[in-house]
Amino acid sequence: MILLCCGQISSKHFDALALFALQLESRGHQVMIDQRFMPEDVTKQIKFEAAPFLVDVEDVTPTQVLIIGAEEISEEVQRLLSLHSFESAPPVHVIGDFKDVQTEVNARNKVAYAIGREPDLFDLAAHRWSPFVEGAIAPLLSAIDDVPQQQPGDRSRVLVYLPFEKISENETAIGQLSVIHHGQDVDLHILTNAKGKDAIASSRYAELSVFGYSELPPGDLLHYFDVLAFFGVNIPGERMAVLALNAMGAGKVVIDCTETSAFIQAGAPVVKGPVQLEALSGYLLDTVVRNRSEIGQRAQQADWLKQFDMALLERNLGVDTPQMKTLPREPQTLFLPTNGNGLGHAQRCALIAEEMAEDRAVQFAAFPSCVGLLQDRGFPCVPLVARSDQHTEEFAADLVNYLRLRNAVRAGDQLVFDGGYVFDSVYRTITRLKISAVWIRRGLWRPGQVQSVALERERAFSQVIVPKEAFEELNTDYTLGPAVKKVGPIVGRKRLTADEKTNLRERLSAHFGHSFETLVVTMLGGGVASRRAAQTQFLCSLFAQRRDCLHLVIAWPHAVVANSLYGWENSHVVQTSNAAELCQASDLCISAAGYNSFHELLYAGVPSIFIPQSAPYLDDQERRARAALDRGVAGLALDKELLHLEREVSAFLDGGKSDAIRQALSELSLPDPGNAAAARLIEEGIRP
Amino acid sequence: MKAGARPSVAYVLDPGFPGGTSSAVAAELEVAVKYSKVQVYALDTRMFPGRRVAPQLKAALKRLKIQIIWDCQTISADVVIFHNPSCLKFQDQMGLRLFARHLIVVTHENFQRPGGALAFDVTKCLSQIEQGSIALHRSLAPVSKWNRQTVENWLAENPFPSSWSVLPVEWFNIFDDDFKVPTSHPKDRRGRHSRPGSEKFPNRDVLNACFPKEAENNVILGADVLMRTLDRPSYWTLFPFGSISIEQYFDEIDFLVYFTAPTWRESFGRVIAEAIAAGIIAITDPDTASTFEGGAIGASPEDVNQIIAQYVQKPDRYAEDVITAQNALSRFSPKAFGDQFNQIIQQAAGTNT
Repeated sequence: MILLCCGQISSKHFDALALFALQLESRGHQVMIDQRFMPEDVTKQIKFEAAPFLVDVEDVTPTQVLIIGAEEISEEVQRLLSLHSFESAPPVHVIGDFKDVQTEVNARNKVAYAIGREPDLFDLAAHRWSPFVEGAIAPLLSAIDDVPQQQPGDRSRVLVYLPFEKISENETAIGQLSVIHHGQDVDLHILTNAKGKDAIASSRYAELSVFGYSELPPGDLLHYFDVLAFFGVNIPGERMAVLALNAMGAGKVVIDCTETSAFIQAGAPVVKGPVQLEALSGYLLDTVVRNRSEIGQRAQQADWLKQFDMALLERNLGVDTPQMKTLPREPQTLFLPTNGNGLGHAQRCALIAEEMAEDRAVQFAAFPSCVGLLQDRGFPCVPLVARSDQHTEEFAADLVNYLRLRNAVRAGDQLVFDGGYVFDSVYRTITRLKISAVWIRRGLWRPGQVQSVALERERAFSQVIVPKEAFEELNTDYTLGPAVKKVGPIVGRKRLTADEKTNLRERLSAHFGHSFETLVVTMLGGGVASRRAAQTQFLCSLFAQRRDCLHLVIAWPHAVVANSLYGWENSHVVQTSNAAELCQASDLCISAAGYNSFHELLYAGVPSIFIPQSAPYLDDQERRARAALDRGVAGLALDKELLHLEREVSAFLDGGKSDAIRQALSELSLPDPGNAAAARLIEEGIRP
Repeated sequence: MKAGARPSVAYVLDPGFPGGTSSAVAAELEVAVKYSKVQVYALDTRMFPGRRVAPQLKAALKRLKIQIIWDCQTISADVVIFHNPSCLKFQDQMGLRLFARHLIVVTHENFQRPGGALAFDVTKCLSQIEQGSIALHRSLAPVSKWNRQTVENWLAENPFPSSWSVLPVEWFNIFDDDFKVPTSHPKDRRGRHSRPGSEKFPNRDVLNACFPKEAENNVILGADVLMRTLDRPSYWTLFPFGSISIEQYFDEIDFLVYFTAPTWRESFGRVIAEAIAAGIIAITDPDTASTFEGGAIGASPEDVNQIIAQYVQKPDRYAEDVITAQNALSRFSPKAFGDQFNQIIQQAAGTNT
């Protein structure tokens, strides 16, 4: 196990530590970063990169200690090094690009004084013809594969690095990239900084796939391209230098389109491309993509690249290249439903998971509100942390979840995510571990929600499963392509028989000590997205006047229930995650129109009045409810239409509308549920 | 040179050295002026950029009415004494020419660390002096036995022009024999002082052992780095370097317990001599103690408590041993240095037959 430290405590040095740790981990080394070397000002991206490696030195017993960026060692670093001496006295290696003997001696001496024994020294400069990037802190190294890692087939994946200046100076040129993007031969991605990403997102070419500069580590970006083109003035920093080296080592094509021919000047085995963005398309198609494997292989074999071979460092440090660990257990499918505003995502995932083949190991990772539901249905569950305003950073919970996911999932596993926005934790876990991933993404988004930023992370998934709406006019394609598969609505299959319904009603009567003729179930949502206390109280007041009525108000197990809902005549709050059976046994259900509730009620033939939730970040529940209303299979009352709601309740219970709706529902033609189809698609997506 | 004429001696150094080198040169100048015509030339090296003059050196120059000379490109004298060549380690050119009958380079820094690792880029520094000088004789002058050992080991391991010799005697630091009388009631009051550099301090385990809770006083002067450490013991009294006078500090202790990082050694050990002169028992590692030939107690850290306990129980022996140590220190007196210095420069100037 290798412990990493660095010569100074700064964001730049910490960035280098994270970069190097990721590289070593990719080689199969067990690696850690001494957390004392983390400065105050660390960006979210670097925190995500470094977090899996951070350790307290008191808790570990390293076999090697590597100090990178040792050209300058600060007094504070000396102090930290002096504070902890490992009993095992592991070899300490000082790594740097030492420009002369004195710099080397300085580094060696400072560490020797601090640790009280002699370190070993690895001078990167001694192995290099010339520095690749001046002042780099991370040891610029790369694994060199034997054969090019190129996507088979005619279609090439191209990543273009563009500095913001290049984007802002010529939007027409970005248009040229858009042409390539929409062509048949190339899947195009752009790599740029935050400003560049914003500029493209707000341009006419927002549909382009754009990676932020440190959105993913260089080694993880490799999975998205076969060809990498660099534009701009020079080599854009050590992170991009590592990306270029990794690309060469993996047998990708690197094209030098920089104004100074910086890569060519450094002697790197790259091909010279056009400086003008407009010329890239022709150059790519005519010169590069047909020959990409051969060009990539030549880069791998170049003597220049051997200077940067990670194996060189490993040999010098006396650490063997470890064999990649094999999975110590059978591959599993991990379902991760987002917490959303209710239990819908978890319910949907559970329904699909129940259809998975019995020999497939299934596990869940879920937020606290859903853990009980999933465990009750027999699924092992890794608890995730919900976001809280109490956290100092808005991404703190997601960072913890990232660590939990990395621990829960291994290479060879499969991850199934159900949610609208792909969290960093999910995105990074999939990319880092190179696992097969499926995105279950129901539709009916509001117009403003269909944004490229929400959809761009689709590129991390090998499949997107779109559970359809029951009514065809509600189905919209947000993205297309062979990876996007549609299945029927995901709904529970269990239906109560008439006897079971009677039995359940009798048990309810006994439980609540209330003999009733009419059972009404109200479930207007957890109150997170839209306040529904007024509507629920109004319904309680209505049903208080009906002596033969039992009114059950459904709340999720962990929901906070308003005190005002207690004490009503005939009404009772029931906290459960399994409302389906109560609904099926009811005479009327008054419900929000979320995907799950809506389809459960529809498919179970339960007469319902929908009160859609209307929060802007939810799906378009009103459209969904109106589609049912238009077909005469449900009632509809908007949140402020209390008098209309009262009339509808009366119509359903007194005017025979319940029977009419029940009849209409029984005659309604609905698409087959997609539970099993979704399960089969997920099983097919498991990589051998 | 005419018989009876005083030889000319040019001192060349970077006056920015904050510690031992400047203190040593300051004391040396007081003696040298008695035997020679002294001029002092300042180097503005990359090690101490900004043309600073250490306070102790500035005071000596003022007392002696010697004007320090900057920006001189050519220096000529019977004897040129270049103090501490390590100041050239961050540059490639010395930037001046030296002409002398005898060029003496005083090696204040050890050339090697314990175990033989290079202490600085000696070749780079000496080469600059070699290439920038014309001299009949070139000598390296070690400041102590330990320092000599590192110089001779380095010369044996590195190709360097054979025209350089090593002076047979040590160019030691001078200490006045104005010794303080030792206390008759020694207590377990311990201390150490040094610059705050990491090389000057042993690891925490050793520090903990040398400055235990049981001691009446544990004073560490130069504890700038330790003071930033959260888990430092409450029974340590810590002072930043230079925050109290050396006299105030010595008033607080009866024992100097001085260990450094095991990967570094003092070349001379002025702190030891200062403590002995102040009437205090000095305990240090055996190599550092060897410079003082019985003046300091060479021990390992785990022996410290027992040594101190014995002295506290036997105050008479404490006083005896301090006086013995002070007597040993008299070999570093101004007179002893003056005799040695005079002989060397007369010989170099060709006036000593």
